[in-house]
Amino acid sequence: MALLEIRDLHKNFGAVAAVAGVTLSVEQGSLHAIIGPNGAGKTTFFNCITGEVAPTRGHVLFDGRDITGSPPHRLPALGISRSFQRTSIFPRLSVAENVWVSAYGTHPLAAGAMLRHADTIPGLDERIRDALHEVGLERHAGRLADELSHGDQRLLDFAIALAASPRLLLLDEPTAGLSRSDTQMVIELVERLKGRYTLVLIEHKMDMVMRVSDRISVMYFGRLLAEGSPEAIRGDLRVREAYLGRRA
Amino acid sequence: MRRDRYSFLLLAVLAIVAPLVLRPVIAAEILIFAIVAVANNIILGYTGLLSFGQATFFGVGAYISGLMIVHWDAPLWLILPTAVAANVLLAGVIGYLCVQRIGLYFIMLTFAFNQMFYFIAYSWTTLTGGEDGLPGVQRPEWLRDDLAFYTFVAVLALICLALMKRIVDSPWGRLFQAVRDNPDRAAATGHNVRLIKLTSFVVAGAFTGFAGAVYALLYGIVPVDAIYWLRSGDIVFMTLIGGSGNFFGPVIGAVFFIWLSETVSLFWNRWPMILGIVFALVVLFLRGGIVEVLARIAGVMRRRRDAG
Repeated sequence: MALLEIRDLHKNFGAVAAVAGVTLSVEQGSLHAIIGPNGAGKTTFFNCITGEVAPTRGHVLFDGRDITGSPPHRLPALGISRSFQRTSIFPRLSVAENVWVSAYGTHPLAAGAMLRHADTIPGLDERIRDALHEVGLERHAGRLADELSHGDQRLLDFAIALAASPRLLLLDEPTAGLSRSDTQMVIELVERLKGRYTLVLIEHKMDMVMRVSDRISVMYFGRLLAEGSPEAIRGDLRVREAYLGRRA
Repeated sequence: MRRDRYSFLLLAVLAIVAPLVLRPVIAAEILIFAIVAVANNIILGYTGLLSFGQATFFGVGAYISGLMIVHWDAPLWLILPTAVAANVLLAGVIGYLCVQRIGLYFIMLTFAFNQMFYFIAYSWTTLTGGEDGLPGVQRPEWLRDDLAFYTFVAVLALICLALMKRIVDSPWGRLFQAVRDNPDRAAATGHNVRLIKLTSFVVAGAFTGFAGAVYALLYGIVPVDAIYWLRSGDIVFMTLIGGSGNFFGPVIGAVFFIWLSETVSLFWNRWPMILGIVFALVVLFLRGGIVEVLARIAGVMRRRRDAG
C-alpha cells in the first residue's frame, strides 16, 4: 500500500518550472530514494511535501488524505517528520531538551500540561530516551547541543525527527557535509531505521543510495526520468547519461 | 530547581533589606521595573525577539490605574486585574500584527505601535492630561505610608517573578527558547511558531501592564513619559545590562538603572552618559551582562578556595 502519493506535482518559480509534473508513490515500510543531478528539482520537490513551499499544481496524499499545502507545523501530528540537509538543532538547549521539543510537539497530553515544569510531563521521558538511544546519544543527554561534534549534531537532528514517532520520515541529504567516518555512521543509522519506518531519502551520494534504497526515482529538469530498483537504475542508459555518466 | 529556590530566598532577603538602605519609594520603583525587565526578558532572552515597544503596555497599565482612581476612586482589587486583562487584550492585538514579520520589521512594528499610543496619550489631553501628566492618583488609605506601599510592591513583585519563573520553566518557556534558537526546526517539530511568539508577547505585556498599574500609585501621577519610546529603550537597556541569558539578570539591571538614575542624577544631570558608556562596554565585552561579571567572580573565588 502506498503511504505517500504524489500526483502530477508542479512548482513554478516565475517562468522556471522547478518541478514539472511528478507522480510517484512511496510504499509503506520502504526506503524510497530520490536522486538527480544538482538543479534537478529534488529540494523543491521535497519542500512541497514538507509544506515549506506551496505547489503550483498537483496533490500530495498521505495515507489517502490530501495534505497539499499543509504548513510544516501540521505534519508531525499527521505522522510525518523530517531531518534537515544543513543540521538543524536548538544550539542553546541541552541534547535532551532538543528531543523534548519534538516529543512534546506530538504529545497527546500537550494542551493539558501547559503549566507543569517542562521536565515533569508524564510519558515524555521515555520517548526522549528511546530517540536518543536509537541514535546512540544517551550519554550526551545533559550536554548543550552546541557542544556536540559535527557528526553528533547530525545524529541529534535524526533523534529530533524520530522523537515525533513518525510513520513517514523524510531525509534531506542526511550525509551532506559530513566527514567520511560520520557519513558511515549516518548510513548505518539509516540502515537500522529501514523497515521500521517508511523513509524518503533525497541524496546524491550514489554509493549510499544504491546500498540502502528499495526503490529509486531519478529526477532530471523537474521531471521523473526513471524509476525502479537500484539494479534497474544502475543499468538504465538514460540515467547513466543524465547523471551517472558525468561521474564515470 | 533548588538553585532557583535559593535565588528567590536571596531576592526576598534583599527585598527586606532594601528599604533600610534606600528610600522606600526608590526601592519600590526598582521592584516595579524589575517586573518589567524580567517580563521583557521573556521576549528578548527566552524568545529571541526584541520589542521596542514595552512602554505601550507599561503606559496603558499606568493610565488605566490612574484614570480608575481619579474618576471612580476604584479599589485596587478591581484596578489591577483590569489593567492585566486590558493589556492581555492589547498585547494580543499588537502582538498578532507584529509576529507576522520577523527581524528588523518586527522591532519597527513594536516601535510604531508604541509611538501611536504615545501620541494618543499626548494629544488626548482631556483624558490623560497630555504633557502635564495625570495627577491626583491617590493611593488607598492603607498604602499612604511609603513603607507600607513598598511592602505591598515587594510582595507583588515576588509573586510576579515567581509566576514568570513558573512560565519559563513550563513547556511554553521551553518552546520560547526553541523558537529563539531555530524557528524552522520548531515548526518542523509540530509547533506553531507565530502562536508561540504571540504567547510570549502577551505574557510580557500582561506583566508589564500590571507593573505600570502599580507604578501609577508610586508618585501619585502618571507622567506621559511612562508611555514614551525612551521608556521602551530603558526597559531593553535594563534587560541587557543585567543579563538576558539569566532569568534573574534583568532584576540586577533594574536595580542598577533605577539606583543610578535616582542617585547620580541628583548631582550630575549628564548621568545618562554613564549609562551609555556602561551599555557600550556590556555590549562589546560582556554579552552576559552584570550577571556574567558575578558568575566570573564566583568562578575565580571557587577556584581559589579549591586551590587553597
